[in-house]
Amino acid sequence: MTTAIQRTPPPPLAVFAFTVAGLITLPLLYVSYLALSADFAVWSRLWATRIPELLSNTAWLAVGVAAGSFVLGVTLAWLVVRFEFLGRRVWEWALVLPLAMPTYVLAYVYTHLLGSGGPVEEAWQALVGPEGRILSAQSYAGTTLVMTLDTFPFVYLLSRAALLNLNVSYEEMARACGASRLSTLFRVTLPLMRPAIVASLSLVILYVVSDFGAVSLLRYQTLTYAVYQQITGRYDQAAASVLSLLLVLFALIFLVAERWFRQRSRFYQTIGRYRIPERKPCGPVGTILITAYSTLVLGAAFVIPTLLLIQWSVASVAQGALDARFVGFIWNSALLSGLAATFGVLVGTPLAYLASRWPSRLNVLCLQAAYTGYVLPGPVGALALLVLFSHLAPFWYGSVTILVIAYIVHFLPAGLQSMEPALQQVTPNLEEVARSLGLGLFRSIRRVTLPLVRNGFIVAWVLMFLQSLKELPATLLLRPVGFDTLAVRVWLEASEEYYQLAAPSALLLVLLTLPALMLLVSKDWRAA
Amino acid sequence: MVPDLTSLEQGKRPDEEASSIVLELRKSTCAYEAGRPAISEISLCAHKGELLCLLGPSGCGKTTTLRVIAGFEPIIGGEVYLEGQLVSAAGLLVPTEQRRVGMVFQEYALFPHLRVAENIAFGLRHLSADQRTTQVHAMLVMTGLIGFERRYPHELSGGQQQRVALARALAQNPVILLLDEPFSNLDPDMTGKMRQDLHDLLRRTNTTAILVTHDHDEAFAMADRIAVLNNGCLEQFDTPEAIYHMPSTPFVADFVGQADFIPGVVENGKVVTEIGEFPNQVGYQGGAKVVVMIRPDDIHVVPAENSSTRILARQFRGSENLYTIGLPSGHIIHSSEASTNVYPVGTRVVLEVIATHTVLFDQDKIQQWGHNPLPDSDATRGTD
Repeated sequence: MTTAIQRTPPPPLAVFAFTVAGLITLPLLYVSYLALSADFAVWSRLWATRIPELLSNTAWLAVGVAAGSFVLGVTLAWLVVRFEFLGRRVWEWALVLPLAMPTYVLAYVYTHLLGSGGPVEEAWQALVGPEGRILSAQSYAGTTLVMTLDTFPFVYLLSRAALLNLNVSYEEMARACGASRLSTLFRVTLPLMRPAIVASLSLVILYVVSDFGAVSLLRYQTLTYAVYQQITGRYDQAAASVLSLLLVLFALIFLVAERWFRQRSRFYQTIGRYRIPERKPCGPVGTILITAYSTLVLGAAFVIPTLLLIQWSVASVAQGALDARFVGFIWNSALLSGLAATFGVLVGTPLAYLASRWPSRLNVLCLQAAYTGYVLPGPVGALALLVLFSHLAPFWYGSVTILVIAYIVHFLPAGLQSMEPALQQVTPNLEEVARSLGLGLFRSIRRVTLPLVRNGFIVAWVLMFLQSLKELPATLLLRPVGFDTLAVRVWLEASEEYYQLAAPSALLLVLLTLPALMLLVSKDWRAA
Repeated sequence: MVPDLTSLEQGKRPDEEASSIVLELRKSTCAYEAGRPAISEISLCAHKGELLCLLGPSGCGKTTTLRVIAGFEPIIGGEVYLEGQLVSAAGLLVPTEQRRVGMVFQEYALFPHLRVAENIAFGLRHLSADQRTTQVHAMLVMTGLIGFERRYPHELSGGQQQRVALARALAQNPVILLLDEPFSNLDPDMTGKMRQDLHDLLRRTNTTAILVTHDHDEAFAMADRIAVLNNGCLEQFDTPEAIYHMPSTPFVADFVGQADFIPGVVENGKVVTEIGEFPNQVGYQGGAKVVVMIRPDDIHVVPAENSSTRILARQFRGSENLYTIGLPSGHIIHSSEASTNVYPVGTRVVLEVIATHTVLFDQDKIQQWGHNPLPDSDATRGTD
């Protein structure tokens, strides 16, 4: 009977989910296949020339950014959770804002700020004389700075949550055992935050490793950038796939690390009652110091870049930048992202539903397969689709379809993370109760299931939309000829150092991201 | 059953003067918000090796008192002395880490990132590595945790976690051990055995301890003396027997066990009530309106044909039958009978009161406390 509540999933649903999971893993498998079947000569040539440099560049950047984000994220979280000062609530929110800056936007602002003849150099030379030099944005230090400013909110957010959830009893216990305040911090508080810190650092590293926008504008050679160059500059698919495989393995390590430490953190939560630590009130001196520190960080990461973008946009608009072409870019972006988000939700639903309702090994595996996008940096996924489509379906090559597929593969994990918990709260019992109250299958879905999952699905859609909106490398590689998006315009114009021209698109991207960022953060925000 | 009244009235251990005082609170007041003290003017003391219980309903200030002793909360009035040293006063707060108090939290607060042995050794940094190992081993033996030293807290049962928490607190050889509802997270079937184990351990090590609980059975089973708290005030500080038999306030009487309050009037040096006369031990004036506190185990029922006192309900409790009895006036009183003495509901009975001592309160005091001894409509329905 079709209307009965079933013990096994309906076959069409299972077949669909299995097919989708297969298709999503195809790019990864295909890249691995390409790399492993590449001529041994390609491997040895790359080992001899590019790989050591690229690996060490990527690793050093990851280490530098992780260290920087750790210091900024943990100290800022510590200050807003443990101290009471004027404007604390505002800072608590504001420190998340840098996440709204795509890396390539921040990178392009900093190429201007730190460029020769730029405002920072002028100020410095006014201070120490005309011989004064500052660090260039297009260097290891500059790239590290830009990426750090863009990623520290990950560490800040997770550390803040960990600190808020920390049972004060642990710290009181340490004091009762004779440990001083400082000793308690290092022996108890920080170790208890360790899972959150490591998880957020893994996230940061994953982000750095797969970033293309900033490193390409700052001309810093990482694996991701090199893959892109192999595809565009040298048309060397074999070399590109070898580098891609290395990159995937690199990313995989940190993805597994992140998962593992998130798992562990559940042992660190206490049962029973717990008290929120009291905030220590700050005097005027403390308030000034904390405010100065936060202002410096937020100013560098968000406020100054935004102000600069506004200033450039005003100048650019005055010169007539908001023409029909600009509207066309907005339309292209909205169309692509809207399609990707909508199809992402449609494709993700059966996967998440099957795994939460019938968690058989196969169904869970299908769901896990959908997460491969996480370890598939933009250029890698683009490479796989490029080669696949040119072999299998050349007529789709260079079409909107291939772009939408690339987005879905890449951003489905982000969507699934909100769809999964939403579907999990719909237990079979709820539907059974609805059925027992005389509702048919479709009416019980409409009146019980849908209202429960709606919010989670909206969040998923918004997330996938925004990620697609900001996407750069796959769009650059796969877009139809002459089909530019906002992100692509920013990158193209910034590469040529047309700062003013790039500003309206960049500003629009930042502004569009803000509400979604708030939506995302407020999901598990606890003001306390 | 019949308590020795002379020792009860003194409410002291015979050797009190001789033994040394480890902890003393003098009129300590602590307030989280100005003007609303969480505890006010609490005075109590603990002697070496004594086990004190802080007993009261939730929100009565018992945990606050414990936190004041530990030095987690400052006081705004009074003093706290540990081993004769002033540790808390208005404007003075010796930090917890300098007090050498052992602490066992309700949820144990075992450090989740440390193994059992590392948890126990946490407070032993001042010792050499060898001494530390020796001390940890001694604690493991004492609490029966040998074999568990390399486990993490989440790999232990609730009872094992409690023992680790205890071992960690005792390892640093504390001046006083503070236990905040240590049995509330355990399976109720296990608590009887665990109470006994803890009691034996504290006795064996001659540890001075303060235990916070809301369960009077737990307090009676463990304590040398009990401090009953209500609304931040100390209601009574005495031995368990005195608390039970000679409660000093209606609140204490009601909180530590079932109690009925029967109104009476003092006439000719006796307290005359509906269920008989009681000696006027406290020396009320003739004509004074008082209430007599009666516990169910002081009252027995005997069936009698012509009585207008009737059994309204019977509750079977395994070891006893608890009868609810309606008096002719409409007052309700309870009687505890052997579990084999079964009388049907509606049986007419007369009461035998076997009280060796009388606990009397002013009727005004009862009204203030909010307990209304006058019959309500439900109670009168069962009578003629």
